[in-house]
Amino acid sequence: MIFLLRRLAFYLAAFLAAATINFFLPRLMPGDPIRMMFASAGSELSLENLNALKLTFGFIDAPIGEQYLAYLRSVFTGDLGRSIKYFPLPVTDLLGRALVWTVGLVGIATLLSFSLGTFLGVMAAWHRGTRLDTAVSLSSIFASSVPAVVVSLIMLFVFGYTLGWFPNGYAADPMLDPAWSWTYLSSVIYHGTLPMLTLVIVLTGGFAVTMRNNMINLLGEDYIVMGRAKGLSDQRVMLWYAARNALLPTVSALAISLGSVLGGSLVAEVVYNYPGLGNTLYQAILARDYPVIQGQLLIMTGAMLVANFLVDLSYVLLDPRLKRA
Amino acid sequence: MSLLQGLLRNRKALVGAGILIVIVLLAIFAPLLTEYGPTQRVGRPHQPPSADHWLGTTRLGYDVFTRLLYGARVSLAVGFGAGLLITVIGTVLGIIAGYKGGVVDEVITFFTNMILVIPNLPLLLVLAAFIGQASPLVIAIILGFTSWAWGVRVTRSETLSIRQRDFVKSAEMLGESSWRIMSFEIFPNLISIVGINFIGSVIFAVITEATLEFLGLGDPNTVSWGIMLYNAQNASALSVGAWWELLTPCVALAVLGLGLALLNFAIDEIANPRLRTGGMLARWVGLVRAGEGRL
Repeated sequence: MIFLLRRLAFYLAAFLAAATINFFLPRLMPGDPIRMMFASAGSELSLENLNALKLTFGFIDAPIGEQYLAYLRSVFTGDLGRSIKYFPLPVTDLLGRALVWTVGLVGIATLLSFSLGTFLGVMAAWHRGTRLDTAVSLSSIFASSVPAVVVSLIMLFVFGYTLGWFPNGYAADPMLDPAWSWTYLSSVIYHGTLPMLTLVIVLTGGFAVTMRNNMINLLGEDYIVMGRAKGLSDQRVMLWYAARNALLPTVSALAISLGSVLGGSLVAEVVYNYPGLGNTLYQAILARDYPVIQGQLLIMTGAMLVANFLVDLSYVLLDPRLKRA
Repeated sequence: MSLLQGLLRNRKALVGAGILIVIVLLAIFAPLLTEYGPTQRVGRPHQPPSADHWLGTTRLGYDVFTRLLYGARVSLAVGFGAGLLITVIGTVLGIIAGYKGGVVDEVITFFTNMILVIPNLPLLLVLAAFIGQASPLVIAIILGFTSWAWGVRVTRSETLSIRQRDFVKSAEMLGESSWRIMSFEIFPNLISIVGINFIGSVIFAVITEATLEFLGLGDPNTVSWGIMLYNAQNASALSVGAWWELLTPCVALAVLGLGLALLNFAIDEIANPRLRTGGMLARWVGLVRAGEGRL
């Protein structure tokens, strides 16, 4: 219990740190921070609206300490300000719309990559030293050493432009109205395939390498030898003795990468013009829509912290020693 | 067996190093390999590859091959510069935290863990967005100062176990100063971890620089592979059929990634002999299997 409380306090501090970065960055930059934050708003904002926006970000006539508290107050009450590009739209609404697409696309891609990567990792570790192992390990490391931009662009070039198998952008046919109809859903699936494939290529390698290394370290354990000596089948030793135990650290890696789902797959969404969180962030960068950019950092940090906390929780459940600590 | 000897005997390491050396040489001798300048309009826009322009021209009429060679300089410099910075900060803080212990350790560990849970890419994006058009140097510095946390964690835990060994104890008995123990007793035993950290950081820096520049946070006047991607994307190179403008930096980044990945893999094999393919364990399992068949 004390362990969990300590972790909770730590995560609160980390969230506070992210908020503090958001607060101080515009003030550390040369020039007028207010002008910098709201420059692109131009004359479209009425004075009243601009003042409300300033208040949200703590730009008040008061010592810096009070400004900081004012900013924290708005963050912890869930007020992330309003988008400047799409003014009066609150940042939380803007991000909420994009969230659905990202969770669908990246969430499914992460789960697919996890299953595929774990399977490949188990096979590579079990047949270590063979060609299969070399092929799996090398291609995994290669896939994680190439920028996701490059993978996305090459996939788009080959399957989108050259072969013409898949559409080049958007989450669904723009002519269709969103509805729970088969035509609309099939269009969503058709448009999502290429970004999904790209993400699976980018993500699978990491899971495969982690699983392989965990499992190879376990294969030297006595209980594996014992299992073989008992005359158990290869498959039983591989899956029920080695893979099951090696899975534990990989599951925590899965939780962390599900936590970073909200970061989206910035690059894939931009390349395929997919309306998720990553693309929203990209559009905000182009328009220098600072409230949206800062809101994204906070939301992503929050999601990451929740995922980490769930990992801690699962450790307490799985490892009884921590309950007493 | 020292790390260097191990690397020289490892085929993957040699191929990886070979790729890197070729790219470095191409970057160094860029002016001898091409007659054009990287920011010089030398042809009509979007010319396909030809004898005059080996890899075609961009929308602005720059020679793609020339920009590829000169761009390698920036991409390599940012990759290795930021990689070095990340590794130095991570190693120094990791050794200090692991060896000194106490309050120093707790402070360093607290900040390390904090940086580890704040997602890196959005943090970088926020920083870069406020800076505006970040030059390669600025990108390298930002990367260096925000990405050292993983290195600290790994170096610290390894230092903790080395600190308990006899040779460190005896050095302490002899009254050696703590900075001397840290740099001459502990550091040499961390070389392979430092190596993995360095190569990993270089990969990370190359990828992140390209990504930040592709997203439009770099200075559009630099000549680097990331900016080449950004310009090609802005020129809608794929939809107008100028694939050479977009695919050239893509292939370059992929080849650089391949070279670094091979090196990383090789160092990992040498540092963790258990993971090595064809090691003692695999041979033993092979023997057991051969026996199984006959029984």
